Amino acid sequence: MDLLKRLSYHVLSNNFIKAGKGSSDIKSNLKSIGIDSDILRKIAIVCYEAEMNIVIHSLGGNLHCDIYEEKIVILTEDIGPGIPDIELAMTEGFSTAPDSVRELGFGAGMGLPNMKRYSDIFEINSSIKGTNIKMTILL
Amino acid sequence: MNFNVMFDEEKCKGCTNCMRRCPTQAIRIYKGKAVIDNVRCIHCAECIKICPYEAYSTESVDSKIQQSIKYKIAIPSTTIYGQFPKGTEICNVQNAFLKLGFDYVYDESWAAELISKAIKDKINENKEIRPLISTNCPSVVRLIKFRYPSLLGNLISLEDPMEIAAKLARKRAKEIFNCDDNEIGVFYISPCPAKLLAVTDPIGPNKSSIDRVVPLNTIYGQLYKEVKKQENLCFSNPSLKGIMWAVSGGQSKSAELNNYVSVYGMENIIDVFDEVENGRLFHIDFIEALSCTDGCVGGTFNVENPYVARNNINYIIDHTDENTLQNDDLDKYEEFKNKGIFNLVIADEDEGDFKKHKINIKQAVERIDKIKDILALLPGLDCGSCGAPTCYAQAEDIYDEKSKLIDCVVLRAKLNENKKEEK
Ligand SMILES: Nc1ncnc2c1ncn2[C@@H]1O[C@H](COP(=O)(O)OP(=O)(O)O)[C@@H](O)[C@H]1O
Ligand SMILES: [Mg+2]
Repeated sequence: MDLLKRLSYHVLSNNFIKAGKGSSDIKSNLKSIGIDSDILRKIAIVCYEAEMNIVIHSLGGNLHCDIYEEKIVILTEDIGPGIPDIELAMTEGFSTAPDSVRELGFGAGMGLPNMKRYSDIFEINSSIKGTNIKMTILL
Repeated sequence: MNFNVMFDEEKCKGCTNCMRRCPTQAIRIYKGKAVIDNVRCIHCAECIKICPYEAYSTESVDSKIQQSIKYKIAIPSTTIYGQFPKGTEICNVQNAFLKLGFDYVYDESWAAELISKAIKDKINENKEIRPLISTNCPSVVRLIKFRYPSLLGNLISLEDPMEIAAKLARKRAKEIFNCDDNEIGVFYISPCPAKLLAVTDPIGPNKSSIDRVVPLNTIYGQLYKEVKKQENLCFSNPSLKGIMWAVSGGQSKSAELNNYVSVYGMENIIDVFDEVENGRLFHIDFIEALSCTDGCVGGTFNVENPYVARNNINYIIDHTDENTLQNDDLDKYEEFKNKGIFNLVIADEDEGDFKKHKINIKQAVERIDKIKDILALLPGLDCGSCGAPTCYAQAEDIYDEKSKLIDCVVLRAKLNENKKEEK
């Protein structure tokens, strides 16, 4: 099916002032489209976690939301440093977040597991050049 | 009709204060006068509080209707105890209601104490859903339905104290007066207009047990006179755990919770609910969200300043003997719980209304694209002069043909300038 619309956001590394703005805008767009609220909740969670991971763990990147008639696809790409061991990173509770970030209430190590749990298809690729995540939520 | 939020067009100057304040953007200014969209209104009363011209007011109960009811029960809200000066004989309050012509008084605080226990149990029994959200503030419940339908499942499935008090009061009154249900009228003495909404448009599928909602401030004067009279015998005390509900944080304290978020003010509540939607508050047990400043003591129908009312309530809690006569319903918690009296079922139709309707994504995307095109033409100042609270809201209104581009003062000024230049 055709892509109906793409929403895109630039996500800055370590900027906690703007952090979450992209997912919040995606959420309000999808709300005004009238997406089913249970599905919206899943999207809100995966989007927010993905965006925060770019802020906390990467050197910066982009967040996209692609709207199709039958699905929503959330995509992220960042410019590194990548995830050395994806399987380990996907373990519940695993986190390399520094104390300064934990003090802000992040770093519970539940981001990636929840992104997987709440999306219907979860795809991740990572190298030292960066991490790409594609999460599909069926409507 | 219980009371109405009355709007006096004569007094309205079209100043836009209420329109900007409204948390659900339910108000527009058409032809210089405020107009409320009832579908969006969550009865939070922010407009009443902010209006500098007192254009909004409440019309009180029709006394003739009251006459026709055989047995009148009063349910004083927990906030009432914050309204009297320190040192007032609190045990006179319920008696004073009888002097005002009510036949029976059932204090909301008793039900509140029972619900506190039910909240504690529910949190221990149901660990699946987090955070659970209090159903006590009808504006908050309405906000969830309207703006956060994905959180409907987080509402704790317990009725609010007002409703439980009304149910138990009816049961009592039937025993005492040996009468039928339809001979009884239950009057809730309310701190806010939102409680009316809970009665006329309950969240559950069942009809409310309240018949009328009386604004507290409309009977306070007479009531206080009676309370002050020394000849009144002490009748009964409120539940000290129950009256904590009048102030923000009180529910959680009364339910002896230690892992909760207590928040008041619509803007703050919206921030917290956004966090819940983003999945950031799974580790929190309970959210006590109340629309008004410092909780229900901030409701527009109270007479005392909310902060002073809080102080008055704390004083009562510290200086009242826990053991003075109360209602023996307080000892029947287990019985009521087992009978399911506290349980709230969220109506399926509600979910249907807000959740389950099939949408045409393609059309919806086209709609927001067009709205964004219109938005691009507007100046983005959110000045409100057109009669809509934001440029985005105005763009939506233009798309829906409820307003026109030319209603924008900035665009109009530009157009006039261009015309002048042409000349
Ligand atoms: N975009 C990313 N770039 C680099 N490392 C990442 C990225 N996303 C996640 N990680 C790594 O995976 C770990 C687990 O991520 P997550 O489950 O979201 O937990 P948390 O963010 O709380 O640490 C992170 O601590 C980090 O080491
Ligand atoms: Mg994370």
